[in-house]
Amino acid sequence: MADKVKIKVDHLTKRFGDLLVLDDISFEVKKGEFICVVGPTGCGKTTFLNLLTRIYQPSSGELYIDEEPADPKKHNISFAFQEPSAMPWLTVEENLEFGLKIKKIPKEERKKRVDRILKLLGMENLRNAYPKQLSVSEEQRVIIGRAFSTYPDLLLMDEPYGQMDIKMRFYLEDEVLKLWKEFGSTVIFITHNIEEAIYLAERVLILSNKPAKIKENLEINLSRPRDVTSEEFIELRKYVTDQIKWW
Amino acid sequence: MRIKKEKISTEYKMKYSIWYHVLPFLSIGLLIAVWYLGSSSNPMIFPTPNTVLRRMIELSQNKLSGYTLIGHMGVSLLRVAVSLGLAIIIGVPLGVLIGWSRGVRATIGAVFECIRPIPMLAWIPLMVMWFGIGEKSKIIMIFMAALMPIVVNSYTGIKMISPLYLDVGKMFNASTEWQLLRSIVLPAALPTIFAGIRNATSMALMVVLAAEMIAARAGLGFLINRGMEVFDVSLVMSGMVAIGVTGALVAVLTNFIERKLCPWNRSI
Ligand SMILES: Nc1ncnc2c1ncn2[C@@H]1O[C@H](COP(=O)(O)OP(=O)(O)OP(=O)(O)O)[C@@H](O)[C@H]1O
Ligand SMILES: [Mg+2]
Repeated sequence: MADKVKIKVDHLTKRFGDLLVLDDISFEVKKGEFICVVGPTGCGKTTFLNLLTRIYQPSSGELYIDEEPADPKKHNISFAFQEPSAMPWLTVEENLEFGLKIKKIPKEERKKRVDRILKLLGMENLRNAYPKQLSVSEEQRVIIGRAFSTYPDLLLMDEPYGQMDIKMRFYLEDEVLKLWKEFGSTVIFITHNIEEAIYLAERVLILSNKPAKIKENLEINLSRPRDVTSEEFIELRKYVTDQIKWW
Repeated sequence: MRIKKEKISTEYKMKYSIWYHVLPFLSIGLLIAVWYLGSSSNPMIFPTPNTVLRRMIELSQNKLSGYTLIGHMGVSLLRVAVSLGLAIIIGVPLGVLIGWSRGVRATIGAVFECIRPIPMLAWIPLMVMWFGIGEKSKIIMIFMAALMPIVVNSYTGIKMISPLYLDVGKMFNASTEWQLLRSIVLPAALPTIFAGIRNATSMALMVVLAAEMIAARAGLGFLINRGMEVFDVSLVMSGMVAIGVTGALVAVLTNFIERKLCPWNRSI
């Protein structure tokens, strides 16, 4: 995971009619980096992700993956949705296999990957369960596993733990870190929980109020596993909180 | 939390499940008891369960109009099966198309919306005038009755799919409509489609009787009608009980197929 640039966001601007939402955003993400994006509510975080997945087109500027304009047909972009989105008619195993089947990956390789992810998630004994039989956090783990299953170039997560309580959050944060390390994916993780951002990220992008600009690009150099009660951690958390509050 | 609720309800279910198995027998017993009480006054008008049962046994041994009781049941069931089969083969794809394609919805879908409020029984005279009273006309009547709920449910099932699932498909870059349809839309809609098939089955059972009462030489509807013509109350009631049994058997069969087809939909 050298310092190769994986994603380059170049003067990205998005307007909805007269409403300027993203204002000239530029930054780079290195291959295998874990980035968290935080910002005030309604500042344009989801819009930003939708530009990356090409659900929206930018008003100006461009987004490059591996030095080519992002193209979901060419690049392998994965998305972990905020809502529980496991297919109810598929078992855990089949859910993990779902994206691989659509991408027409050969059966043997599919099985290998699914087994690997099941093992990492510690869900081997639940492989034949249907989502209805799972708890909320188990289902969310399946969704995250599914997002990793295609070995994405870029994994986008839009507040995937927004509705979970603290205990589950901690647990799933460790889970996503484990998968990230194992697969070496590049992750952009959106959250408005600052503690979560600092716990997870190698770098935190702080967005300003709408129209969103990058207010600060903050390296987090804490060693892992991080201790949320340590002094440095609390310091950073306070700092980022202030950055979001004042502009 | 969702987990906790489920756990509680499973425990609860386990504890009381015996009751839920016993209660149906109790209430059926009660029904038969009431039947006995009611029937004791005038056996000509209201025969006892015994009489009806004896009549059914007799009907199973001696042919009436060429068939035993089981034979008449078979005739009615065959009509239902053929029409229902046709209705499924035609109705499911049609409903899916109406739900999936705006063009089809605007054309064929609109026609369906227009026809839908006319109750099935109102079609029967028209069918008789157009197609006569033969086998073909019966099959068409039952087919029509079964088609409506199948089309409507298939269409609703498709329309009710959460866009989230389609987004998941798009995220993995499902490239063709067929891929989305096969891997997401159809399985997501299957429980609703199946509910339509179940409705269609009860519609078909109803209309087969109506059709057989109008003109037929065999079938349960014919038996009942014959009983009415000669004021043979126990024959009428034998036919009714036979229909009840047939309906129950069909329901068991549909449930079984549904559980095989949509295993995820079974309540835990
Ligand atoms: N499709 C759209 N058309 C018009 N305006 C939109 C559209 N999508 C988003 N917006 C506007 O863009 C702004 C940013 O919305 P966005 O959902 O990206 O914010 P967010 O940072 O994700 O908010 P939250 O923290 O609530 O998730 C909002 O003012 C919203 O009204
Ligand atoms: Mg948002």
